[in-house]
Amino acid sequence: METDAVQQEVDAPCVELSASQTALACAAAALVPGLGHAVMKKWDRAVVFFVSIILMFFIGVGLQGRVFGPDFTDLFSSLKFIADAGAGLLYWMARLRGLGVGEPTAYTYDFGNVFIYVAGLLNMLVVVDAFDIARGRKS
Amino acid sequence: MTSHFTMMVVFSLLVSLVFTFIAKTEAKERARYFLYLFGSFILISIAVGWLMYPFPF
Repeated sequence: METDAVQQEVDAPCVELSASQTALACAAAALVPGLGHAVMKKWDRAVVFFVSIILMFFIGVGLQGRVFGPDFTDLFSSLKFIADAGAGLLYWMARLRGLGVGEPTAYTYDFGNVFIYVAGLLNMLVVVDAFDIARGRKS
Repeated sequence: MTSHFTMMVVFSLLVSLVFTFIAKTEAKERARYFLYLFGSFILISIAVGWLMYPFPF
């Protein structure tokens, strides 16, 4: 039974959505990890992306990593902000609630930063994946 | 969680999981690809760690 369900998903034809539906899916994916896939009823991917990316972001905050604010004074500060902000609403919620202040003297500070950067960067990949599915390039 | 190894394992696990679901669609393929990615992350990290061991900084 389960094999049949998996086979059906594999055999599912690539369906191209309209431009507005594609934009909606990408916007949803950019705001909340996995929401773009949920909009397109790709439930397994939606759950995995949602749980993994949120977990990764909060582990980073828990490890006393810093959620970098918009700072375009130099290249690295800009890149840190862009990577972090890729997490979408998570990033802005953390900023608004004062989470992720970061403690540079903490033993885990750098690890925390990496977890937060990668959570944002993975979410950017997830947005691209949602775009590919919406345009019918993959099932 | 302050062990470097634990943090590396958790990081590898989560990143491998996301990469797997982006790249593969079939369950068996996903399982194989996940194990390949996760194993590569761990083994390469340990290998690079040993290579960096003699560095003076």
